[in-house]
Amino acid sequence: MKFLGNGKKKFDFPSKQLNESLDTLPEIPLEPELNKNIQILKSAYKDCSDVVFREFIISSNINALLLYIDGLSNTEEIDQHVLKPLIQMKSYDLGAIFENTKKEISVSDVKEIYAITDIFKQISIGNPIILIDKQTRGISIGLPKWEKRSIKEPDAESVIRGPREGFIETLRVNTSLLRRKIRHPLLKMKQIDIGRYTETQVIVAYIEGVANSFLVDEVTSRLKRIKIDGILESGYIEEMIQDYPFSPFPQVLTTERPDVASASLLEGRVVILIDGTPITLIAPCTFASLLQAPEDYYNHFYISTFIRWLRYLFFFIALLAPSAYVAILTFHQEMLPTSLLLTIAESREQIPFPALVEAFIMEITFEALREAGVRLPKQVGAAVSIVGALVIGQAATAAGLVSSPMVMVVAITGVASFLMPRYATGISIRILRFPIMILSGVLGLLGVMLGITAIVAHLCTLKSFGVPYFNSTAPLKIHNLKDVLIRAPWWAMDTRPDFFSQDTSYLRRESSTQKPGPSKGGDGS
Amino acid sequence: MSCLIRSVKKTFTLILLVCLTSIFLTGCWDRAEVNDLALILAAGIDKGKKNNIELSAQIFIPKPSQSGQQSEMSAGGSSGQSFVRSAEGETIADAMARLQEELTREIFWGQNEVLIIGEKLAKEGIIDQIDFWMRHSEPRIRADVFVSKGRSKTVLKAMPELENDTSKQLRKIVKTHIGVKVTAKDLSQMLSGESDAAVLPWVEYLDPSMMDSKKAIPIINGAAIFKKGKMVGRLDDKKTRGILWPRNEIKSGVITISFKNEKGYISLKLLQSHNELIPSLKNGKWSMHIKTSADMEVIQNTTKRNLFNPKVIKEAQQKIEFEIEQRERLAFSEVQKKLNADIFGFADEFERKYPQEWKQKKAEWNEIFPQVAVTFDTKVTIKRTGLGTEKQ
Repeated sequence: MKFLGNGKKKFDFPSKQLNESLDTLPEIPLEPELNKNIQILKSAYKDCSDVVFREFIISSNINALLLYIDGLSNTEEIDQHVLKPLIQMKSYDLGAIFENTKKEISVSDVKEIYAITDIFKQISIGNPIILIDKQTRGISIGLPKWEKRSIKEPDAESVIRGPREGFIETLRVNTSLLRRKIRHPLLKMKQIDIGRYTETQVIVAYIEGVANSFLVDEVTSRLKRIKIDGILESGYIEEMIQDYPFSPFPQVLTTERPDVASASLLEGRVVILIDGTPITLIAPCTFASLLQAPEDYYNHFYISTFIRWLRYLFFFIALLAPSAYVAILTFHQEMLPTSLLLTIAESREQIPFPALVEAFIMEITFEALREAGVRLPKQVGAAVSIVGALVIGQAATAAGLVSSPMVMVVAITGVASFLMPRYATGISIRILRFPIMILSGVLGLLGVMLGITAIVAHLCTLKSFGVPYFNSTAPLKIHNLKDVLIRAPWWAMDTRPDFFSQDTSYLRRESSTQKPGPSKGGDGS
Repeated sequence: MSCLIRSVKKTFTLILLVCLTSIFLTGCWDRAEVNDLALILAAGIDKGKKNNIELSAQIFIPKPSQSGQQSEMSAGGSSGQSFVRSAEGETIADAMARLQEELTREIFWGQNEVLIIGEKLAKEGIIDQIDFWMRHSEPRIRADVFVSKGRSKTVLKAMPELENDTSKQLRKIVKTHIGVKVTAKDLSQMLSGESDAAVLPWVEYLDPSMMDSKKAIPIINGAAIFKKGKMVGRLDDKKTRGILWPRNEIKSGVITISFKNEKGYISLKLLQSHNELIPSLKNGKWSMHIKTSADMEVIQNTTKRNLFNPKVIKEAQQKIEFEIEQRERLAFSEVQKKLNADIFGFADEFERKYPQEWKQKKAEWNEIFPQVAVTFDTKVTIKRTGLGTEKQ
C-alpha cells in the first residue's frame, strides 16, 4: 500500500482496502521541515476549500503553521488565545521554542501530536493544529465549535412526567448529558471510531461492575468488527451488531432520552452513543423491555402496572385484531353473539369484497396514511389527516367499499399500535400483522394460532447479546418479574434485572428495608 | 466439505418449506362470507302434509343500512327484518336440503337459538328430530327448545312488539326463568336419562283481545310434558311453577300470602333457593324427600302485622313454606299421579344411591314412579323486611 511515498507528495487515497480507516493507516511521522509538512498536508487536503492553512512567524524568525477546518473550530478563540499570544511572543531559541509556545497558548485542552495521521483526525473533530518549523511534533488545541441544535424534548418519546431533555446530534453534548446524571467515575465511555470516511465517533458507555464484563466485551468486539464506509445513523450499527439479522423484532433498544439511557446503564445495560444522531442504542434488549415506557418508573406504581397490562393487551390487539375479525367472519360465524353478527351482516350486505380483501384494503390504506403523515411537511400534514379521517371513516363506509365494523377494527388496531412505547416494537407488529391476516383468511382461527405459534417459537429462540429475548419469563427468574408483570414500587425494586443468571447478591441495587411508613424507618417499627 | 453440507442443508430447508406450504392447501374449504349465508334465527318443525316433516326457518334479511349521512343502523323499522320459509321432507336434513333449493344463500345454523316443535309432531314423538340437532355440527346444542300450540310456523311468523322477531322474543322470555328453560342439550339428556321423561316450555299467543290488530305475540304459558319422546300432557302456568322447585330451577318469583281471619297480604320476593332430592328405599318402599331452602325478602305488606316481631316473621315463614309445598303438591299430583312422567329425575337419583336395587327394578319404574312417596321439608328464611314503617 502506498500512502505517502517517502516524503513524496504522492497519494493513494482512497485505497481499495475496506478496513483502511485513519486508525489503521501507518503512522507517518512529522517531518522536521515545516515546508515539507505543509506540502504533504496541502496535497492531502487538495481541493478542500474549508481547510484553512495560516502561516505565521513566531519568535521573530521561526515559521509556524496554524491549521484548522473552517466551521469546526472556534475562530474567535483561536485569534484571541492562540494567534495573538504566539505572534506577540518573545524570542526563544529553537530548542525551547516548542515548550514555550505550548505555554503561551491559553487554552485548557492542549495535546502534542507526532504524526500526520493524527493531524487528520484532530482537525476533523475541530481541534486546530499548530506546527512549528524544525519540530517533529505539533500542538493540537481543543477549540472545537460548530453549530448544534439546542437540547429539546424528543418528539418521538415525550412524557408527561419526567425530564424534558433529549439527546442531540453532537456526541459530546450527549455524553455530558449522561455524565450529568451519573457522576461516578465508574461510568466508563470507551470510544471506537467506525467508518472509513466518516470516522464516526462511537462511544460504548457502561458502568463498570454493574454491566457484565462479558457483555461489554461482546458489544465492543462486535462494534470493532464493523468495516463500512460510513455511519450516518445508529440504524447502521444496529443492523450490523444484531444477533439475528432476519428477525423482525428489534434486538437493540433505541432511545433519545438521557434518562432512559441512564436508567439502562444503572440496570447493567450498555449504551452505544453515536456521533451525528440523537438516537442511542441500548443492549441487551428483552421482550419485556420493549413494552416499558420511561414514565412507568416516574408515575405511581399502580397506574404504571395498569398501563403496562394495557400495553400487553393491546400488543395482541395490534397484532391480531384484523386477522381475528377476518377469521371469525369467514370461518366461525357461530362464535359471535347473534345480534352482533346480524348487525355485521347488515353492514356488510353491500360490500363487494371478501372480508380478507376488505381488511387488506383498510390496513394498507392505514399504513399508507401513516407513512404519508410522517413524510409530509407539517403544512400539508393537516390535509392528510383530514383526508385520512375521510378514508378511514364515514366516507369509506358510505361509498360501500368497506363495512363500518372493519373501520372500527382498523381504528382500534391503529390505536393499539400507537400504544407501543418503543417505535421499533410497533414496526415489527405492523409487519407481522399482514402474514397473520393471510393465514387467518386461509385457515381461520387455526391459521391465527399457527401464526402465533410461529412467532412465539421465533421469539423464544431470539437472543440479544447472549440474553434470551424472553429473559425473566423464559427462563423464569422470579426476582426479575417485578419489573415485568408489575412495576414494583421503587422501595421494593431492590435488584437489577438479571441478564446472565448471576447471583442476586451481585444485582442488589438498593437496601431492601426501605418501605416507608408513618413511623419513619419502615414497616417493622 | 462444508460447502457440501451447506448445500444439503439448503435443499433440506427448501424441501421443508415446500412441505409446509402444503398446510395452506387444506385451507379455505369451509370459508363462507357472511354475505353468502342465510342466517337462521329460529326453526320450527311440524308434521308435514305430504311428507314426514315440515321444516320452517326464520331467516334474517340483512337490510343494508341506508347509505348516506347519519344512517341509523339499529333504529330502522323493526318489522320485516326476517322471513319464514318452509319445506317438507322425510327428515329434518331432507327438508333442509329442499329448503336450500329455494334459497340463494347457504343455510347457516350457527346462530339458530330457538327450536319450536309443533304440537302435533310433539305428540307423535321428537326423538328422531332431536338427533339432527345433536348430530349435525352446525346447530347450537344450547338452542332453546319449545313446544307450540298448533303449528310452529305460525309462531315463527308472529310479530312481537318489543323485540325484532320471534326468536329474540322467546329467547328473552325464557331467560327470565319464570318458566322452564330447556336447551337442546338438556332435552337430549332428559330423553336419554333413566327417567325417559322431559319437559319443554309451551308457547301460546297472547289473548287476541290484548293484541294489536294482526300482531300475534308469542308467550310462554306452562309446559309440555314428554314421556318416551312423546308429548303426553301439559301443565298450566301455576303447576309449572310447582315443578320448578323440585327441579331446582326456580330463580325468581314473588309469593303472596295472607293470614286467616285477616285482611291484607304480604308479598315476598325470592332471593335465592336451593333444592335437594333425597331418595330412600326401605323394605321395598320407595320414597323421595324433597328438601327446599329459600331466602325471601318482603316487598309489600298490606296487613296490620308488625314484621319486626319475630313471632310474626316465624308465622309468615311457616305460611310461605306451606304455600310452596302446596304448589309442589299440586304439580306432583298432576305429573306423578296423572301423567306418570318422571320429569324431576327421580330415576337418576335412585340409580345413583341404590345402583344394585335399581338394576333389578329398572324395568318396573313405570309402575313404581306413581307410587313413590314424596315428602317435603321446606325451610324459608325471611332475610329482609324492607323499608317502610310498620303499622301499629
